Amino acid sequence: MTGLRRSAPRTDARPGGPWHAPRAWAIAALGVAAVAAAPWGIGEGAQRFLSEAMLMLAMAQMWNLLAGYAGLVSMGQQVFVGLGAYCLFFASISLKLAPFWVLPLAPLLCAAVAAIVALFMFRLREAYFAIGTWVFSEVVSLLISKTERLGGERGIGLPTARLVDPRWLEPLTFWISAAIAIASVFGTYALLRSRVGLGLMTVRDNDIAAASIGVDVWRNRFIAFVIAAAGCGLAGAVSFTATLYVAPGFAFDPNWVVAMMIIVIIGGIGTLEGPILGVIIYFTLREVLTVVFGLSAGWYLIGLGLVAIAAILFEPDGLWPLVRGRLGGDWLSVRREPPVPLQLPAPAPSAEAATSSARGLGATPGDG
Amino acid sequence: MIWVETIINGILYGGLYGLLGVGLALIVGVMRVVNLSHGEFIVLSAFIGVSLVGVFPGVHPLVLVLPVAVIAFGLGVALQAVLINRVVTRPDPFAAILLTFGVAVVMRNLMVEIYGADLRHLQAGQLAQASTGIGGLHVGVLPLSILALSVILFTGLQLLLTRTRFGRIVRATADHRDVVRLMGVNPGRVYNLAMGLSLALASVAGMLLAIRASFSPYSGVERLLVAFEVVVLGGLGTFWGAMLGGITLGVAELVGLRLDPNAGPLYAHLLFLVGVLLRPNGLFRVRT
Repeated sequence: MTGLRRSAPRTDARPGGPWHAPRAWAIAALGVAAVAAAPWGIGEGAQRFLSEAMLMLAMAQMWNLLAGYAGLVSMGQQVFVGLGAYCLFFASISLKLAPFWVLPLAPLLCAAVAAIVALFMFRLREAYFAIGTWVFSEVVSLLISKTERLGGERGIGLPTARLVDPRWLEPLTFWISAAIAIASVFGTYALLRSRVGLGLMTVRDNDIAAASIGVDVWRNRFIAFVIAAAGCGLAGAVSFTATLYVAPGFAFDPNWVVAMMIIVIIGGIGTLEGPILGVIIYFTLREVLTVVFGLSAGWYLIGLGLVAIAAILFEPDGLWPLVRGRLGGDWLSVRREPPVPLQLPAPAPSAEAATSSARGLGATPGDG
Repeated sequence: MIWVETIINGILYGGLYGLLGVGLALIVGVMRVVNLSHGEFIVLSAFIGVSLVGVFPGVHPLVLVLPVAVIAFGLGVALQAVLINRVVTRPDPFAAILLTFGVAVVMRNLMVEIYGADLRHLQAGQLAQASTGIGGLHVGVLPLSILALSVILFTGLQLLLTRTRFGRIVRATADHRDVVRLMGVNPGRVYNLAMGLSLALASVAGMLLAIRASFSPYSGVERLLVAFEVVVLGGLGTFWGAMLGGITLGVAELVGLRLDPNAGPLYAHLLFLVGVLLRPNGLFRVRT
């Protein structure tokens, strides 16, 4: 369970890196102002493009939380993208409410489904979990394509989008997408700095050792799986609101998870900055290959697949570690310093000592 | 009577599913890697079969299974030697999974670009329609011969692994990769041959399935899921378990289609999920 790391953990960067007050607050305020003002500065096409990229970032970050921190490679994460979208469409149409009002239902439904699915999917390990979730996604997709109320295979439109002032539809989508992207990055950051996050990382690095010091492996993974499902559901719901149409073939397309996986692997699995870098590379490549060179989507996926294969072979930690040095350390470090210098030799470990050391780690400065 | 016929057809179809899975079971057993490009190789072999039929129009597709299997063996050795052996020794179990997933993405989209996204079918001529009556039941000759071929291949694989020197080396490598080095075995080379064998078996299944059902470059996902379900239901690393797992899925799918004509593989998937819930170690966990 080591993510894709082969190098030993680095100890150079201080926790927090350059990302601490008051400069951080200034940057954050500027960022919020820029996002808020953006719809007046850029055209609708650019807003749509940025919304798509930011939603993709949120999904990739969720996949990164699972694969990079919780040791769960899910190949069926598209099921939550699709369920979120269908939940929003169904709720909005049946309640006759504007889509944005029912948006919170999508992550709630996905979290509930994930909580139930986890009960039996967690019996499967590693690759079996990966394909087990994929089978689950196929089952949900097939069931929805057989449900006429949800439009069957043809899919359904979103007539309630007319309840939103058309001038505000695009900016609202943009702002919500930006909020989701920011929340995905900083929410994951906060989660990983918490006790749950510490538990997750100890499980990832050595699950037997983690269990032996009292970390509840199952519970930590469960929390991560439910959060990732909610995040993907929310991003999926907004993503299909923008297209005003959902069908099983698009909603449960395995290419969602292909994109999440490629973004995370190229950027750097098990780092919070990696998916940001990955999204930038992913969308830059897409625009260059499909717009500038006029290649079809197929060739672009082939290109990305080759880049991902090369990354796994030659740069398993992704590109972020190469960029990190130039930017002055981690921005969003979740690394912790040991509370006291380690002293060797330690006294003979007893059950009591093991428990207290687990508590000691949990109370590390910066917790929460 | 129609149900008996459905179940018999399910068993015949399931033998083919078992064949889809057994190559994957071999790789899982030998190197603890799930090859996520397994389905893409199954589809690729069907495309190679279609191309060969175009080049040799007079030759029956069932004869062309042999050259396709040889090509698939070579591709398997190359895939393992060039890519997978580089990551299989890493302590991280996900490197190989993600690598083969990357290979699957590249292959699927390459096939779309080269062959187009249309549904294809491999014509088997009169044999496809021929049927024989056993006790008043109509059973196709082709499905029957496909099941017979599956049983022969399963038996052959079983004998190869249990009765030959090569099989002994493969089993020893699966048990202790580092210890067999001391005996002068190169685990990488064993893996190359195992992957070649796995994809050769997959290609036979791919060709036979292409005669029975249409396929497109996007079918790889479905084939992989079936193969994987066969492996898990059968119990990891047991070949006859894989055969039984395949038959269970085949019966579930055909009975499901009889109940609900546009269900697709839904009932097979549901059976798999229920199976995992009840018996995570496989339905047919037996020692071989």
